[in-house]
Amino acid sequence: MSSSDEHWIRSYGRDQFPHVLVVLGFALYPILLGVLNRTPVASEASAFLPGLTFMIIVLYMGLFAISFDFISGYTGYLSFGHAAFYGTGAYFVVLAANGQVPGVPEGMPFMITMFLGATLAFVVALAIGAVSFRLTGVYFAMLTLGFAQVMYEFIRHWGYVSSNPTEGATIPSGADMSIGVPFVDSLNFAVGRLSGDSFENVLGLGIDISATMTSYYALGIVVLLSYFVMQRIIHSPFGKVMIAIRENEERARAVGYNVFWYKMGAFATSAFFAAIAGALFAAYAGGASPDNSFYFLVTADALIMAIIGGIGTLAGPLFGALFHEWFEDILSTESDGLSTYLEQLLPESVLTAEVAGLTINDFIGTFLDGRAPLYLGIIFVLFVLFVPNGLLGSIRDRLGGTVSKRIPAALERYRR
Amino acid sequence: MPIELATEVPLVIETLERLFQPSTIARIIVEGLGKAAVYFVLAVGLTLVFGLMGVLNFTHGAMAMLGAYIGGLVMVLSVSDGTDALVRIALFMVVLAVVFALLTGFGSAFEYSLIRPIYDRTPMYQILLTFGVALILEEVTRIVVLSQGIQPEPPWSGAMGTAPAVFTERYDILGAPIRGLYAFEIVLGIVAVVGVWLFLNRTLYGLYIRAGSEDPEMVEALGIDVRQAFTIVFGLGTGLAGIGGVLLMWDPLWGPSALLAIDVLLYAFVVVIIGGLGSFKGTVVAAILVGIADSFTTWLFATGIVTFTGLPELTIFGLLVIMLIIRPQGLYGVEEVGGH
Repeated sequence: MSSSDEHWIRSYGRDQFPHVLVVLGFALYPILLGVLNRTPVASEASAFLPGLTFMIIVLYMGLFAISFDFISGYTGYLSFGHAAFYGTGAYFVVLAANGQVPGVPEGMPFMITMFLGATLAFVVALAIGAVSFRLTGVYFAMLTLGFAQVMYEFIRHWGYVSSNPTEGATIPSGADMSIGVPFVDSLNFAVGRLSGDSFENVLGLGIDISATMTSYYALGIVVLLSYFVMQRIIHSPFGKVMIAIRENEERARAVGYNVFWYKMGAFATSAFFAAIAGALFAAYAGGASPDNSFYFLVTADALIMAIIGGIGTLAGPLFGALFHEWFEDILSTESDGLSTYLEQLLPESVLTAEVAGLTINDFIGTFLDGRAPLYLGIIFVLFVLFVPNGLLGSIRDRLGGTVSKRIPAALERYRR
Repeated sequence: MPIELATEVPLVIETLERLFQPSTIARIIVEGLGKAAVYFVLAVGLTLVFGLMGVLNFTHGAMAMLGAYIGGLVMVLSVSDGTDALVRIALFMVVLAVVFALLTGFGSAFEYSLIRPIYDRTPMYQILLTFGVALILEEVTRIVVLSQGIQPEPPWSGAMGTAPAVFTERYDILGAPIRGLYAFEIVLGIVAVVGVWLFLNRTLYGLYIRAGSEDPEMVEALGIDVRQAFTIVFGLGTGLAGIGGVLLMWDPLWGPSALLAIDVLLYAFVVVIIGGLGSFKGTVVAAILVGIADSFTTWLFATGIVTFTGLPELTIFGLLVIMLIIRPQGLYGVEEVGGH
């Protein structure tokens, strides 16, 4: 699309234009939230915009969903046990922080244990893949699910993890979970829901950065880098073979590709980044439990995000995660959701008014509070039936190409 | 860690000695067959649907959950403390019939309205659709159950308490105390096996199913309305899941709870895949295998020989993995059914 006399930086920048927009959007969001909180629409903002804690979930669950899409959306092999890798990453960093991983000394920087955990997941995926890739379709999905369930049951009862393994393990309070360049203190930022670094009056500009914000930006950088690595792989010859396998595996084999090793490579890479997502989650949440890491429903969340965002689009699942968490946020009371807003907005007489034996209060409690899974399920089914390509996939269909290819071209047309 | 022969060998011998006592063997076999009966009823609907249509039905567990709750509701409303055991069992049979009819209708309607439009897509979309519907069913059940003041988890003890005393008491079989419920489950399991076998081999629709599993295009070419057969079989599979749910209602290890939606599904998958997706004979054999493995590992744990608490669950899913490694198509499965 670029003319030959154009400088490569310009054409590159134009290709990356949507990426820059999305990254800027994510980077400026906390500031926007902070500004809105000082305006008259503060209560609306906190009710209808996802809070920062939910945005952090968007980041690591988004990365997990992207890694799920990397294997399921691009090779067509539905990895139904993807939570196994997420859990491997999460448990590895938690156990390493407790000094419980043989060969990893206590106090090893988080960046290194995260990398080691991801490498372990890579190896585990090769082992699972060696067995599972003999099968296709439904059988592959079931086999990966079977492996994940074995790991789930094992970790749930493994006394080595903690004294109460069904509740999982926690990171000790003194442990340093920092994202940055290992061994360079000034380039490290501690993350964590409660224990992260916070900065006051940054550069004398009067800006305060809370611990949550530090975690948000630190996690965001890791997620961004991971995304670009996966994006590069998808756009490399390797990625083209992955797509060939999805479209017609027989033909890809007939053309001369050793499809087995391409599938193995894709699966292991996907597991690597799933484990990074798990490690980020564990570092931020300060621990991991079987039910929020190895469990089938964790894979299910990634699946929902990938379908809503657009399976086979790589970036789509991040938007799926954004949608998912936004929904969770406005329907929960954890950080001022819809129900809190309604309770403040509506006068007491309306709230207690009965309609067919049901007060508005009851209605809120029954159908809104924490009911996100119900509505997400309905939305998910509607997407499967009517929007099978998801949000980003449908946009691409409409534009006739990826957003980065089409938007700049469209802009160019308007400028002339 | 070196194995210390001085302590390990006597332990193995002692374990074997305890295992080969009549009371132990009786316990493992009777309990195992009771569990096998439950596993069979839970799994058979899934395998029928998959065999004919190639659809892996993720709503299966949610349907069993509905069955358990509907059954529990009827029992709780109609049973009082003084109700006679025979009356309770008769009521249970009525509940089985009602739930089967209700869920067969519900399943048929679901297939007709939602799954039928997407048969032409890849199998993945049928998994996704049924999975989404399962989520909705579970959430709706949670809302309804909570609005009646019952906690969706742990299991609803009120419904479990309607079991007649003859089933909750333990009876002495060759020196082993065994719960009466297991005998009841075995009887119902045998009835279910015979019933489904007769349906498959002695009825016209059974013939369609067997033929359709072999070659759906040929069946269609012979002038049989396969679509209609799909709807009916999907309904029957759902009805069987409901029956399985009713069976779980009195089982102290299960009981009606929202967790059934996923737990039943996972166990049914294990049985179906070990037996071979779509194979009736395989499902029977796999259910017995899984049931016996379950009761054996439960015994190992109960006697303190193994202290790892998750042993039964781990063994069951381990069996699945081992089977898929050595024989991916399952015991009696046909290779590449439901392939890519």
